[in-house]
Amino acid sequence: MLGKSTEAHISFGELDPQFKYEISKLPGGENIKYCFACGTCSAGCPVREIDEKYNPRRIIRMALLGIKDRVLSSDLIWLCSTCYTCHERCPQGVKITEVMNVLKNMAVREGYIHPSFTRQVELIAAHGRLYEMDEFDNKKRERMGLPPVATKCPEASEIFNITGILKLVSKSKSKE
Amino acid sequence: MKKIRIGVYVCHCGLNIAGVVDVAAVRDYAKTLPGVVVARDNRYACSEVGQRAIAQDIKRHKLERVVVASCTPRLHESTFQRVLGENGLNPYLIEMANIRDQCSWVHYDQPEKATQKAKDLVRAAVARARLLRPLEVNTSPVNKSAMVIGAGIAGISAALYLGKAGIKTYLVEKGPSIGGHMAMLDKTFPTLDCSLCILSPLMVDVAQNENIKLLTCTEMTDVTGFAGNFKVKLRKKPRYVDEDKCVACGLCAEKCPTKVPDEFNRGLTMRKAIYIPFAQAIPSKYLIDPERCLYFTKERCKVCQRVCEAGALNFDQKEEEVEIDIGVIIITTGFDVYDPSENREYGYGRYPNVLTQLDFERMLSADGPTHGKLKRLSDGKPIKRLAFIQCVGSRNLGNAKYCSRVCCMITTKQAVMVKEKNSEVEVYVYYIDMRTAGKEFEEFYQRARSSGVVFVRGRPGEIVEHLQTHNLRIIAEDADSGCLFENEVDMVILAVGLKPAKDVQDLTKKLRLSRSADGFLLEAHPKLRPAETTMDGVYLAGCAQFPKDIPDTVAQAGNAAAVAAGLLSRDVIEIVPLNAVVNADNCIGCGLCESLCPYGAIRLEKTAQGPKAGVTETLCKGCGVCAASCPERAIAIQHYADEQIIAQIQALLGVR
Amino acid sequence: MKYALFLGCTVPARARNYELSTRRVAQALGIEFTDIMDFSCCGFPVKSVDVKTTMLLAARNLSLAEEKNLNICTICSACTSILTEVNKELKENGELKEKVNEKLAKIKREYGGDIEVKHFARILYEDIGIEQIKSSVKKSLEGIKFAPHYGCHYLKPSEIYGNFDDPEDPTSLDELIRATGAEVIDYGDKKLCCGGAILGVDEDISLTMAKKKLDRISTRGADAISLICPFCSIMYDDNQRKIESQFETSYNLPVLHYPQVLGLALGFEPKELGLQMNRVKATEIINKLQKGKTES
Repeated sequence: MLGKSTEAHISFGELDPQFKYEISKLPGGENIKYCFACGTCSAGCPVREIDEKYNPRRIIRMALLGIKDRVLSSDLIWLCSTCYTCHERCPQGVKITEVMNVLKNMAVREGYIHPSFTRQVELIAAHGRLYEMDEFDNKKRERMGLPPVATKCPEASEIFNITGILKLVSKSKSKE
Repeated sequence: MKKIRIGVYVCHCGLNIAGVVDVAAVRDYAKTLPGVVVARDNRYACSEVGQRAIAQDIKRHKLERVVVASCTPRLHESTFQRVLGENGLNPYLIEMANIRDQCSWVHYDQPEKATQKAKDLVRAAVARARLLRPLEVNTSPVNKSAMVIGAGIAGISAALYLGKAGIKTYLVEKGPSIGGHMAMLDKTFPTLDCSLCILSPLMVDVAQNENIKLLTCTEMTDVTGFAGNFKVKLRKKPRYVDEDKCVACGLCAEKCPTKVPDEFNRGLTMRKAIYIPFAQAIPSKYLIDPERCLYFTKERCKVCQRVCEAGALNFDQKEEEVEIDIGVIIITTGFDVYDPSENREYGYGRYPNVLTQLDFERMLSADGPTHGKLKRLSDGKPIKRLAFIQCVGSRNLGNAKYCSRVCCMITTKQAVMVKEKNSEVEVYVYYIDMRTAGKEFEEFYQRARSSGVVFVRGRPGEIVEHLQTHNLRIIAEDADSGCLFENEVDMVILAVGLKPAKDVQDLTKKLRLSRSADGFLLEAHPKLRPAETTMDGVYLAGCAQFPKDIPDTVAQAGNAAAVAAGLLSRDVIEIVPLNAVVNADNCIGCGLCESLCPYGAIRLEKTAQGPKAGVTETLCKGCGVCAASCPERAIAIQHYADEQIIAQIQALLGVR
Repeated sequence: MKYALFLGCTVPARARNYELSTRRVAQALGIEFTDIMDFSCCGFPVKSVDVKTTMLLAARNLSLAEEKNLNICTICSACTSILTEVNKELKENGELKEKVNEKLAKIKREYGGDIEVKHFARILYEDIGIEQIKSSVKKSLEGIKFAPHYGCHYLKPSEIYGNFDDPEDPTSLDELIRATGAEVIDYGDKKLCCGGAILGVDEDISLTMAKKKLDRISTRGADAISLICPFCSIMYDDNQRKIESQFETSYNLPVLHYPQVLGLALGFEPKELGLQMNRVKATEIINKLQKGKTES
């Protein structure tokens, strides 16, 4: 999965020319086609500085070329730390952090999700929060003089049913 | 009512219209409209064949009105007006329906609806055409002199073209010397000519040309009139030095105790409170900066007066109002250099070793802060590693969207100059795209590469200054190698873009000129009338219109001068009679029109029946504000009368 | 000054010291908090998976505060950014608000778009003000050096925060620290991200990012880091030992939530601010302060 997207060979048959239009139709992806590959994003990216396999300029470029399957199936899009440095500095107003998010959302719909996010979605859907809290936790809080917090949140859980995201995530999981 | 005979011509405009709109269907529809005696379609209505068809029909079918459904009247109304005039019809009896720009172009993906809209537009045009009235064209004599505002290379060139053609020309400059930004350049690309060596002879020519009247320290305060007959008010600020007496010996400045940052050197050196802007300044006369002079601020000193052997000092000089009458105006007000500190970009204004290209140009000059030596401003250390960053403030949605056109070549020039001064200096140019389109530009770019300048394709995210050494750390991605490139240099030069000059906003307002979205002055047509503005008799050249280099500026100045001279060569100018007319019987003298008219063209006049609105036809532009606001509907605009417009709207909406 | 306190997920579970100190400081400065039991996760962790779900979770939380006619005070920067972003979008895009409310109707909720969201640090900075904080200080932290860590979502994306601080050169936290009498250490990479958002995706990269900042700060002689986000705190405090062993280095650099710093200056005892719960013990700072007290 990782190796494929960094392969230095693209064949036109692999391209999906509609990919860039799909991205730009989603909130946050609107300006992706403005990119003129100046590299400001990569120059300031704290993740790229540590590991060159993550390169926002290259990911945007591949998306614009239409290398859809490789981009969406790649682990790389999940490496954005959402620090917004690129987003702030991009001279063409490409909201790169949001574009990465659009790509991740699309990946999920294509059946690719990073396992750490599957877990997070399941936890929040079940408990309304990322960490399960029980009466024992509230006792601890009480001893510190802190008010109790809810241990369940049925309304939040219901939101996951309304959007159908829980089903989608478990489907992606079974595919892996 | 007698039925008026109308001819309708539907243009294909190649495939521009016919590729979307069913032209034949529109033509056939036009034939069904009341009064239409002939309707044809033409491949190109504006072509000679198309014009001949209209001309023949005017005679054969005794046409009384003509409707052309094609492009915009801005492009071809005058073409068809001429056809009417030459064939015995009053030129104002034509109506155009814009079925291209406002129909086929914008509805390219909906051909059926576009065809329907074209029919609607033609129906509306026919309805208005029926009510058009012949208009008589008036004339007015042309004042044969010109005014050029702004005396950089554009204004100097335009003034010289006009002056040499024997045209009396006022060259108005707000600063104390002519020369503009070009005088601040050390050398010019791609020839590496010394900038002042080529500019200064032209400046002297301006001073010596008997047809050119040079007015420095002068700004336009008011303008009235119209093409061929402008009245301009100017305000000339005092120099406090008598220009006729000053011999520019410089003794005054030598003795003056007050030091002030020198604008000509971008504030990197100091000048005195009495000064001459630069050695080659024209006029070669000193002046006092009253905001800094001890006499004007604290009523002390006057040492300049004591040492001046020519007795040129005059502390009592006052501002002068000058009024001139001219026929044409050429705007050559230039540009502002983008200031990166506005957006806190790359540490400019905070880090002493981050400069703009124009700052660095002064460093390269023998008259600059380092006398042309490659030394750092922070500590005087020799520069060993130098970086340029391109597109600062340009090609940026947060500032200027456009490419400023000259910065790539300025950097290339400065990089070559650095290498020629000292080939051991390492030079890095961080760029997005290198733009070297121009005669011998690409060859010059090659010269920079072969001299060892390293071009890095990658825009740095930020510059970090080392607190002790004041060195500058740049991280960028070198896209070509794919490496993250961490660099440390002694000095960074920012290739800042050119912006519309701030202080000409007032001027453009007074002249009612339009601006394009980028803020520069709008030309009358981007291809065919690049040196004309949307106002008759007002022309433009140089960076006031858009960033450009010196050869393009000079060429455009020549273009502006030629069009201006064309107007001045006529004895009279035709005045299009699209002005307001007042029906005195309905006018109640409320004065609303007078208070709203942006041109001062309508005023209440005393009459036996009380105050009534009266129009000065030569000032009226026919904008319609008075007619639209008149509570008694006593004002009409000729050629755009209420009944004509109402008929057009009713036809469009299908109201009978 | 009344706010609904939005705790989010991480604070009540893993940063109770942050919560405790925030409540103490708020009370001392006259900020009144209302707790809304029904608040859920802000939506941030789900954004990568499905923006629509995030928007509904955020809108629901906003509607709960709106129901009580209260603005929201956040103390986690990720919560701040999601709630601010969604709030802004819903206020500016009527069509979107309608769509979201259609979905919210299924859980019998509606958001009208009438409240504001603010990070606690920003409330201190803008609503209380530096001068007011200075005059409330009972025990100056003079002589203690803090390295401020702003974190990313407190400032960025700047367009949702109305430019209240410069993301390229922020100063608000510096000023808040100085208001306690403490000193601020300037260090490179002040803006560097903690890496927390990708801890679960690639632990190596994430910890290397945190290490970079710890390296930088420890060479500048800081007594502690001061920060304003529970997840940044997990990276620098909870994971400090792990980084030390993984990279064979040693920092022993205390990491204090800003309200703990301010709380000390307002005269609270370390225990009242939950300082015993910080992983890297701030013993030296506490000693310094007590020494100052006995001397004076």
